[in-house]
Amino acid sequence: MVAGDISKAVRRVDAVSKSEGKTRYVSDYDFADCLWGRLVRSSIPRGIIRAIHLPEMPEGYRFITYKDIPEGGHNWLHMIATDWKCFAENDVRYVGETIGIMVGPDKATVEDLRQKVVIDYEEQVPAVTIDEGLACKGGAFVNGNNIHCSLKLDVGNVDEAFAKADKIVTETIETGFQEHIYLETNGACCIPEGDHFVVYASAQCPFYISRSISPLLNVTPDKVIVRQITTGGAFGGKEHFPDVVCGPLLVAANVMKKGVKMFFDREEDIENSVKRHPSKVVFKTGLDKDGNITAMESTVCYNVGGYLSSSFVVLQRGCFHVTGCYLFPNMRTTGYGVATNTFPSCAFRGFGAPQTLFAVETHLCHIAEMQGIDPLEYKKRYFIKQGDTTSTNGKIVERVMIPEMLEQVMKASDYERKSREYKWGSGKGIGISFYNHGGAFTGNGEQAIIKARTKLHKFADGRVEILCSQTEMGQGFHTILPKIAAHVLEIPIEKVIFEDPDTSRVPDSGPTAASRSTMIVGELVERAARLMKPRYAKEEDFTVETCYEHPEGYPWDQNTFQGYAYLGYGWGVCAVEVEVDPCTAEITTKGIWSSHDAGHLIDERIVHGQVNGGVLQGLGWGSFEVMENRDGHFRQTSMSDYIVPTSMDYPKQGVYFVENPYEWGPFGAKGMGELVFNGSAAAYIDAVSRAIGKRISRIPLPTEEVMGYMLHGTDIKAGIEEVR
Amino acid sequence: MEEVKCYIPKTLKEALEIKAAHDVIPLAGGSDLMVAHKKTIGLVPEFEKPVMIIRNLSELKGISVNDKGECVIGAGCTAAEIAADERCPWHLRQAASRMGAIGLRNSATVAGNIANASPKGDTPGPLYLLDARVRIASLRGEREEKVSDFIVKFREIDLKQDELITQIIVPLSEDDFDYIFWHKVGTRKANAISKITVSQAIRFADDGKTVADYRLSATATGAMTNRSRNVENLLIGKEICDKTIEDVVNGFDAVISPRAMPEFRREATRRMIRRFLSEAARRPQNKVIDTYDDYHVTGQPEPRECRHKKGACHG
Amino acid sequence: MDMKICFKLNGKDVSVTTDPLRRLIDVLREDFGCKGVKEGCSEGECGACSIILNGKMVTRCIIPVGAADGQEIMTIEGVSATEKGQTIVQAFADGGAVQCGFCIPGMVIAAYCLLNGNPDPTEDEIRLGISGNICRCTGYDLIVESIRLAAKRGGDIWKK
Repeated sequence: MVAGDISKAVRRVDAVSKSEGKTRYVSDYDFADCLWGRLVRSSIPRGIIRAIHLPEMPEGYRFITYKDIPEGGHNWLHMIATDWKCFAENDVRYVGETIGIMVGPDKATVEDLRQKVVIDYEEQVPAVTIDEGLACKGGAFVNGNNIHCSLKLDVGNVDEAFAKADKIVTETIETGFQEHIYLETNGACCIPEGDHFVVYASAQCPFYISRSISPLLNVTPDKVIVRQITTGGAFGGKEHFPDVVCGPLLVAANVMKKGVKMFFDREEDIENSVKRHPSKVVFKTGLDKDGNITAMESTVCYNVGGYLSSSFVVLQRGCFHVTGCYLFPNMRTTGYGVATNTFPSCAFRGFGAPQTLFAVETHLCHIAEMQGIDPLEYKKRYFIKQGDTTSTNGKIVERVMIPEMLEQVMKASDYERKSREYKWGSGKGIGISFYNHGGAFTGNGEQAIIKARTKLHKFADGRVEILCSQTEMGQGFHTILPKIAAHVLEIPIEKVIFEDPDTSRVPDSGPTAASRSTMIVGELVERAARLMKPRYAKEEDFTVETCYEHPEGYPWDQNTFQGYAYLGYGWGVCAVEVEVDPCTAEITTKGIWSSHDAGHLIDERIVHGQVNGGVLQGLGWGSFEVMENRDGHFRQTSMSDYIVPTSMDYPKQGVYFVENPYEWGPFGAKGMGELVFNGSAAAYIDAVSRAIGKRISRIPLPTEEVMGYMLHGTDIKAGIEEVR
Repeated sequence: MEEVKCYIPKTLKEALEIKAAHDVIPLAGGSDLMVAHKKTIGLVPEFEKPVMIIRNLSELKGISVNDKGECVIGAGCTAAEIAADERCPWHLRQAASRMGAIGLRNSATVAGNIANASPKGDTPGPLYLLDARVRIASLRGEREEKVSDFIVKFREIDLKQDELITQIIVPLSEDDFDYIFWHKVGTRKANAISKITVSQAIRFADDGKTVADYRLSATATGAMTNRSRNVENLLIGKEICDKTIEDVVNGFDAVISPRAMPEFRREATRRMIRRFLSEAARRPQNKVIDTYDDYHVTGQPEPRECRHKKGACHG
Repeated sequence: MDMKICFKLNGKDVSVTTDPLRRLIDVLREDFGCKGVKEGCSEGECGACSIILNGKMVTRCIIPVGAADGQEIMTIEGVSATEKGQTIVQAFADGGAVQCGFCIPGMVIAAYCLLNGNPDPTEDEIRLGISGNICRCTGYDLIVESIRLAAKRGGDIWKK
């Protein structure tokens, strides 16, 4: 029986099976009788395909390209926008763009044939960085200006505030690519069955796949049934990207009239998958004579890559979060999604918010430090509160508990003493950051776009099955959702069935993304369980259904981006303490403390695990996770080149929470899966910056860059460039 | 495609016979070769020559001390075995204990690490420092060669087609020095490739001031591991002072030739040399000197108790 | 050029006639159905494919099956069937060590090897013991605590 406070931790339902090695991931299935597929991809960042030379093809083997899309089918992958093609036609826009898929019965032969495909290109000059994209290096290839998408937000009167400002300072903050490194690489299998196809995939959003790839064959989404298989990590990297994997499989399965399977190896996965958007944020900040901020203008540029796909939404979230946890009197934000000849960037835990949050935190530190003020003291002046205006002219609906969270983190980390004792440049430093994350889809998107539905079915034997499209990818949803249902129904959690979704069986409750699953779908299941409860004992076999309803009185205009962007934010405070090796510039992290407001926690241990993982992933992004793209090619292509944190890189974390129940969440819970990523990099950079006494304005920060800053960096107290 | 052959000899003699008869690639741990030749999941790695698996040859196992007091390490000893064996010199144990991941250290061999002749290899730095030799066997007989001569250049070793490395012999150890230094700046704190590794050792003459011996090697600073007796001689016979330190610093700076991140590698090397020599001149209690006083990495081997007290051992 | 390779797998004598250069991971997964341990990186870097070879943890993606001839192999399937293995599995479940689970069989192997050699490890020793196993989900803290829990619960079994 699940009784008492729902926050009390239970055993995850999948823990024993996973620990014993019994859980099957997609590549653990044989899919006997299916053909093997291997992709042939562009080896150049930009150019025209002149000719494709195939080796002699044995019987039963075939090279499938866009020409194999049947009449009426569309060579696109629907990922919010539809510009990303399934197969390149005449031109290629990035290294790794799918040109075709080699299929056949023997894997070694397929691989051998794939290696022998020769493509003649007419190469063109690629634009790789944000600056090159904006400068239209090699000529614009999108919209005549390489701007995939843009938006503008205005609060107050920035021009007037600038005119009155004592001075206006400007600086640029940059962040790099980040690779997901989900431990399980991408893989899928597509099998024709009668008049439809069944796709088995490691994926976050099974309905996304159906909707994205069914137009290839000009069939309705219900003809492409997707069955998600236990997914070994995703972090956003399996939100839209499985469409890129499954599209060619569907076309191939249609041609071959046989199932086709494909599993990426690690090198293939790193080189040819989406990444976190690199960013460049230029601030222009007006200060009065006392150094207070009177206006902040930010220009946010994200490196979108060759195709827009989902990036406009990422950019929007980035721009909405650029003012962080602060209220500035006048704010103007302009966002640009820049087209470059790199692999299209896509979702990664935080979905655009981490970049701008890092930027604003770092910028505020620099403004404080140039005045000789402890960054914390300076940031405190601007903490946003309930009822304050947001970057989109909405209001903060909920109570903001940053002061309480700050107190927890300061006490645990001994911040006050350390900040006082560790002089800037002393080799020791402590840093602190503040961050938030708007839960679920922006504005009224949950109602206007997603329209989530869930079902709860009671069987005669007393068991209850949850039917929804949410996936388990490690975050614990297979435990969270049954726990919510069991708690309401007052039955043991073992009596609640929640299986990996099959799009032909479950209603579409929306994607497992945007920190929405607990907050939105959890609430739908809670509500369904409450509807079921009075009937539970009396009736034998019945179903209840719930649909999302947006609370009234919180308007949002998706055309002007004005109004209540998010009804509930998760909030976070993180402190990081470091020490720098004076000989080698190696940074040793001595302590990590965080406090989060995720509403009322559904399971404190699952949330604890999310905090640990998210904070560490953020530290990796801020420190040594270097992913360079040179001339259109990613330089880090293996797990020894692209390194992620081990158990020895960071110490045990101090993890704290505040209790702040969210009005519309299940049992008061809010989203938190992305929140926990959003702030650790800024705290780390703040700490390192203070330890070496230099101003740091870009991440990642591998050891050699620390040394570079130590040797040539700008003094932490130096003035920031003034525009006026 | 030509069929790839594979030999699995049961004895060293059999292995040498195969080597004499065929041009084969010896494969012990597989940590370099299997990765370099991998295709994709589920496919057999493709080698340009036949492979001879020598992972389980018992003649290549074992660590011992010979009658000259030299440490003799079987070519098939894994990094983990070396890291855990106190008979192995401290510098080498340090390097072995930080080579790759734990699972890899249970496979990767020191001979393979030498034969790979990568400038980022972990063990050549200490082996150069301590004048280590490789013992090489063929049906024609046996020979020995200094590791620093055996590695001819980037990715090239002095091994004839019929030869096999059988042992690594390390004549010196921390017992021969008063102060020792080994520091690897990895890409991260564990399971890391070297960005720069510096090994140093110093012994003072009986006056406690004159440097009787000084050694310095660095890896990942050029196409090969770097060590220069000429540079070391700038200090030997002299006392440590600002000038002699800078002579070594500048002398070694001229020896190394890092291509990637040159400023970092040069600066870190300079700072590690200065740190070690200026600390050694203070004659601290601890035999081990590191980059700064609080430096701590879990699981690093301690220097062993001195087996035989030699002159000025201040450990 | 196939060869007959004989080895002991989870306590049973087995043999396979195959190309000796095939990777041990492929042979164990495809020929012996040991799907429990995973392929994460294909280069001995991530530890997801860890097995125990002659009592020591190795990453089998870098070992040719020919090198296993005459050797003793334990996989997660074998380890989790032992009392020690179950102690770890249950501690992982109770301690919140598991998220996506892809690294976890390798982690169980690492914990098993660690505790066999060191029945009462410190936090630092545990962190060192699993440093060759990459996890992208958990941040390691709850895995470390779960291994400590397994050490405590197992008590004397680790000294056997």
